[in-house]
Order: sequence, then structure tokens, then C-alpha cells
Amino acid sequence: MHNKLLLPHRFKTAGWLLLSVAVLFQILVWTRGGELSWLNIKVFAILDQDMGQSKYFSFIQNNVTEEIIGILFIIGGLFAGFSREKTEDEFIANLRLSSMLWAVLVNYLLLIVALIFFYDLSFFDVMVLNMFTILIIFLGRFHYILYRTSKANPHEK
Amino acid sequence: MKNNIKVERAIKSITQEELARAVDVSRQTINAIESGKYVPSTILSLKIGRVFKKAVEEIFILESGD
Repeated sequence: MHNKLLLPHRFKTAGWLLLSVAVLFQILVWTRGGELSWLNIKVFAILDQDMGQSKYFSFIQNNVTEEIIGILFIIGGLFAGFSREKTEDEFIANLRLSSMLWAVLVNYLLLIVALIFFYDLSFFDVMVLNMFTILIIFLGRFHYILYRTSKANPHEK
Repeated sequence: MKNNIKVERAIKSITQEELARAVDVSRQTINAIESGKYVPSTILSLKIGRVFKKAVEEIFILESGD
């Protein structure tokens, strides 16, 4: 059972670490309000639309707080979900795939609900969250089942 | 499909952990197989049979719905 798409086990801890940093960072941004001013830098944009004006392939001024948090979260989530378990085997590989399937399904069911009940700017917020929900649902389901299967009858002979 | 891994383990007096190590899988996998939540691959079934020194058919039993 050697899936070439999986990272070595040590990436798992690194993944959780990155993920926690991203979440803490985001909570800070939410609670203390706004983005960090020193992260206002010049970035390269393929397309930047602002007030009906479009700029292509140009350098623009932008605050990269959200970008950094987003990238940290995604990389962390991928590391945590796509690293080999300590004892990687067929059941765990199977569970990973089924959790993926489950995550995509639940994600789109939630999106349908959001499409019906959220409008305008609120829907934009939902879309931003939706970028991360597949990963979150996948990680949650995978580790929950793994935990549940490891808990039942631990000392049984 | 049913299996009597639990019974075989009791006869041999080994834990899930020990069986898991003997066939090179996680304890979760043995647990999931015992509780009927996971059907092992042919390779893993054969390995489990080898640990108990029994034919695969004596450990894994087809049910009417299979």
C-alpha cells in the first residue's frame, strides 16, 4: 500500500502546526479588526478589477494578510490530510478516499443551501469560506473515524 | 461477509495490537475488520490466515447478501 501521492509522516505535524498558525492569525485579524498594515506591499496581479477598472499584468499595492493566511491554511491542511499515517495501510487509504468523497458531497450540499439562503455580500463571505470547507470537512471526517476506530475496545484480548 | 477474527484471537490469546503488528497494519484496521466495517483485501486476508495457520475460508465467511 504505497501511495505515491502521500507525503512522509513527519509532514503531518508540520501541517497541523501551519494550520493552527493560520487559524490563530485569522482569529487575531477578526478580533483586532482589519489587516496588518505592515503587510501592505506591492504585488504582481494578472488581473485586478477595482471600481469598474481592469488592470492586466501589472504591479499593484495590496495588503497580503488574507493571502498569507489562506496559503498557510491550504498548505497546512494538505500536509495534515495527505501525509502517511504512522502505520499507513489499506483501511486508512480507503478511509482517506471515502472522506474525500464525503467532503465533496457535503461541501456542495452546503453550497446549495448557501446559494438559496445567502445573498449579495453575505454570499461573497460564504464563497470565501467555501474555499476551505472541502479541506475542513475532509480533515474532520477522516480523523474522527480514525479516532473512533482506535477507541473501541482498546484493551480487549 | 462475517469473520471470526475475534474468536481466533481469543484462541491464540493475542490482542488487536499484536495481530496488527503481525500483519503490518494499524490497530484501527483490525478493529474495523472485526466490527464488520471494513472488508480486507485478499492480501491482508491471506496474511491474517497465515497468522492463525488457517485457511481464509475458515476465518472469513460469506453471507447471503454478498
